[in-house]
Amino acid sequence: MNIERNIMLTVDKRMQEIAFYLVDAFSDAAFSGNPAAICPLPAWLPDETLLRMTQQHNQSETAFFVRDKAGIELRWFTTQGEVNLCGHATLATAWVLFNEMGYPDPHIHFETASGRLTVTRDGDWLTLDFPACPTEPQTPPPEMLRALGIQTYVEARKGRAWLLVLENRQQVEAVKPDINAMTPGEHKVSITARGEGEYDFVSRFFSPGVALWEDPVTGSAHTMLIPYWSEKLAKTSLFARQVSARGGELRCELKGDRVRMSGRASLYMKGHLFLR
Amino acid sequence: MKEIAFYLVDAFSDRAFGGNPAAVCPLEEWLPDDVLLKMAQQHNQSETAFFVRTDTGFELRWFTTQYEINLCGHATLASAHVIFEYLDYPHTEIVFSTRFVGDLKVTRSGDWLTLNFPAWGCEAVENPPALLFSTLGINGAQEVRAGRDYMVVLENQQQVEVLTPDIDAMMPLGKMVCVTAPGDEHDFVSRFFCPGEGVAEDPVTGSAHSMLIPYWSEKLGKTALQARQVSPRGGELRCELKGDRVLIGGQAALYLKGTVYLRSH
Repeated sequence: MNIERNIMLTVDKRMQEIAFYLVDAFSDAAFSGNPAAICPLPAWLPDETLLRMTQQHNQSETAFFVRDKAGIELRWFTTQGEVNLCGHATLATAWVLFNEMGYPDPHIHFETASGRLTVTRDGDWLTLDFPACPTEPQTPPPEMLRALGIQTYVEARKGRAWLLVLENRQQVEAVKPDINAMTPGEHKVSITARGEGEYDFVSRFFSPGVALWEDPVTGSAHTMLIPYWSEKLAKTSLFARQVSARGGELRCELKGDRVRMSGRASLYMKGHLFLR
Repeated sequence: MKEIAFYLVDAFSDRAFGGNPAAVCPLEEWLPDDVLLKMAQQHNQSETAFFVRTDTGFELRWFTTQYEINLCGHATLASAHVIFEYLDYPHTEIVFSTRFVGDLKVTRSGDWLTLNFPAWGCEAVENPPALLFSTLGINGAQEVRAGRDYMVVLENQQQVEVLTPDIDAMMPLGKMVCVTAPGDEHDFVSRFFCPGEGVAEDPVTGSAHSMLIPYWSEKLGKTALQARQVSPRGGELRCELKGDRVLIGGQAALYLKGTVYLRSH
């Protein structure tokens, strides 16, 4: 490292240095889970700067947070704009606070556009506490089934997104959607089946119309999946795997009208970015 | 756990959020190809460059999120920036040995780094496909040429800047599309569209200038040219035609420096 240059970087007042983390949420294995970029900020930057940073990182989500006496404010951006909730980036942010920033308590409360979100730590496992999302039986549009390449299903329901129940894990893994055929902005769909071995259920999540097509691990989908499988399997504690190419694991629990989703996370990259 | 240095560098610009970003990872030794590809996918940048220092220079390879590629100008410039600025490299010239295109030289002069690439010719196209104009949203052009890519010459900079092409619909053309015109404050300006690629409009394209420089050099009757790629991010290039080679100069700016923690898998 060129020391002279390094000093120049730090004393240049026009250059702001910001910490950067790239964390894989819902996994502790290499190249798995759902990656999120995390930037702790000393104070909020203009929204336009946050969006440009997010576009530069080009990850599915960049989470920004500001920690002050009043608490921790958390916001999430995709490359298209700010979003009002993102589970995996919240988990990743909590991981950074617990493991890299010496956060002392086992509970972190985030103030967000979706109200207060709490993450609780239990060893390596971090737990999100989200409202459960009920689903109702509904007939899926044929063009969606065609795009997914699915001829038969066990059950179709709709809540915040479509829920398609298939026969088994093999069928879920075999789904090869024609993403171009799916209508942009419509038909977000979680495809699920009963699990095998240690897993109570498995799923995959497709989200056409946004920058990413198959989401590696999806917290929000589990707010629908947990109540559904809890009733189906007559148990409130469930172990789930999202069987995307990257894959991830979630310990799930239904508690009244709330769901608890726990996952591990691991650090892929840590560094500093330099804003001119 | 292996620690690997990581740089995210904006090539062909010295401004915030300008130029063409590339991830750059210096390696102690080569890692398996599937690990390099997975790293490039994790970074999710248009290109990740990996290099290993040797006795005589550096071995350089480039990966997109899909596969290893033959040649990438902006990630070469970004790699040279990392070596010159951050790796205690005292010389003013770097020789990269590459797998598919032989040795590539990058020289330094102050903030400006210069790539030495082969010049590429292009031929006039008498009857350009209607799809080329319709996807660009134009009725015609001053000139249409084709080499590796299509080159569409328009009348002025503003006509290039206002294009909002349907890039996906360009797929049947079977080529990338470069649009160029004389610049207001530059000798020429350009934009570069890549149907079927992850990044539909390339912010700044070294390789396109291999074709643009000989063309504009002849047109304008000079060998040294100032160019700007007028994409939304934008970038500046100092160009020179030298026989059958082109010199493509650009600045670069570090956006992010970090460490990758590579767990065994």
